[in-house]
Amino acid sequence: MSIREKARQLFAEGVDGVLAFKRTDGVCIPHLFTKTEVEEICKDVPADQRYPVAGIVRRIFLSGLAGKIGVVARGCDERALIELGKQGQIDFDLLSIIGVACSEEQARYCECSKPYPSRIDVGSRFEGISVSEKVRAVESMEGDERLAYWLAQFASCLKCMGCRNICPVCYCVECSLEDENLVRRGSVPPDWPVFHLLRAVDMASRCIDCGLCEESCPSGIPLRTLYKKATEIVKELFDYEPGADMTQRSPLGTIGDQSELPGGAFEA
Amino acid sequence: MMSEARGSSVKIPDDVRIVAFLCNWCSYAGADLAGVSRMQYPPNVVGIRVMCTATVSPYHVLKALQMGADGVLIAGCHIGDCHYLKGNYMTYKRYLILREILRFAGINEKRVRLEWISAAEGEKFAEVIRSFTEEVREAGLSPLRKNEVIKSEFGEKLKNAFRSLEVVK
Ligand code: SF4
Ligand code: SF4
Ligand code: FES
Repeated sequence: MSIREKARQLFAEGVDGVLAFKRTDGVCIPHLFTKTEVEEICKDVPADQRYPVAGIVRRIFLSGLAGKIGVVARGCDERALIELGKQGQIDFDLLSIIGVACSEEQARYCECSKPYPSRIDVGSRFEGISVSEKVRAVESMEGDERLAYWLAQFASCLKCMGCRNICPVCYCVECSLEDENLVRRGSVPPDWPVFHLLRAVDMASRCIDCGLCEESCPSGIPLRTLYKKATEIVKELFDYEPGADMTQRSPLGTIGDQSELPGGAFEA
Repeated sequence: MMSEARGSSVKIPDDVRIVAFLCNWCSYAGADLAGVSRMQYPPNVVGIRVMCTATVSPYHVLKALQMGADGVLIAGCHIGDCHYLKGNYMTYKRYLILREILRFAGINEKRVRLEWISAAEGEKFAEVIRSFTEEVREAGLSPLRKNEVIKSEFGEKLKNAFRSLEVVK
């Protein structure tokens, strides 16, 4: 089934709009289509262009538009939508997902562990990469070597905020990265470790591993490797995976019970 | 108390510098007791009183490291004894995550420690400070020291940086 056909079907079922792609000057860009525009919907998903779809959905809801919408979503987009739904940023129940499976090539490039959404409408399923070679490569370094590696990487940060701005699960109105008490104003590169590890700490229980931050970074800093590790840590400690499941509670979003604390809370 | 006592007159050029976030309801009192009973602990600690360890965000720990602290201690009520019932659950969870992130970033995670010390455990407080100082000395001066923002007295800087956390002057 093509995306356009699927969108037609959703409109027949009563959605008010469909967030899909529109070809403009040879480039596919996200667009919220109404029923009358359905013929303009790109049949396919742009292979190598990705967008923070969930972030766009959040802004659609923020703009006050109330209604049901269909959303073309890859695996990571769906995870971001689930995460945003859990955090009360969007109403997940108002969404109908048009699921797109990523190509093997895309999945390998992303080292994506689940390159498909829960239901696939377009594309065929590739199982995904369970172990990130990039994370393992950093882990295999000695402590000092790792420090030198990250220091060198972050030395080229321009503090453009691109990584934060594109992140579909970053939505705070007041951002700690802009808090002068934490990160000094007017210095580039920004203070390390506070700037980057602050973000890593926050992403540990939220990052859905879309990799858009790294792709948008003008300095090519391997941010995804850092956040992949951060989420691995949370997975290991709390068996929690951001965006995996609407019913799983975030360990940092809820206080929980003593029995849920990882072992050794008493000797800590 | 401690931060006042270790004012700008004390110079500690070559030893490790430790920031200790102390919960008002337990460890801060424990620190007092340690002082009252004249127990010895090294003069290289800047104590910051907080109303619960849950108010110590990983941000604050990172900021302390950023500013050149060689070690950061968070000391609070035992699990089950938190004045706000479950505040320290969050402290514990965040601490576990932060440590691993520090390790991955190449910052010796032993520079950060979480301890549960009740108000009655003055002796434990002194012991924790002593052993933590030893451990941080082993780790050496922080490689992040060159990040220091202001070259003035360590305690003064921290007091300013964490002004917002000082609930009781
Ligand atoms: S990979 Fe980057 S942009 Fe995507 S969710 Fe994680 S932190 Fe945000
Ligand atoms: S996108 Fe890259 S250069 Fe820009 S703030 Fe993030 S890490 Fe720094
Ligand atoms: S009140 Fe002491 S840790 Fe919460």
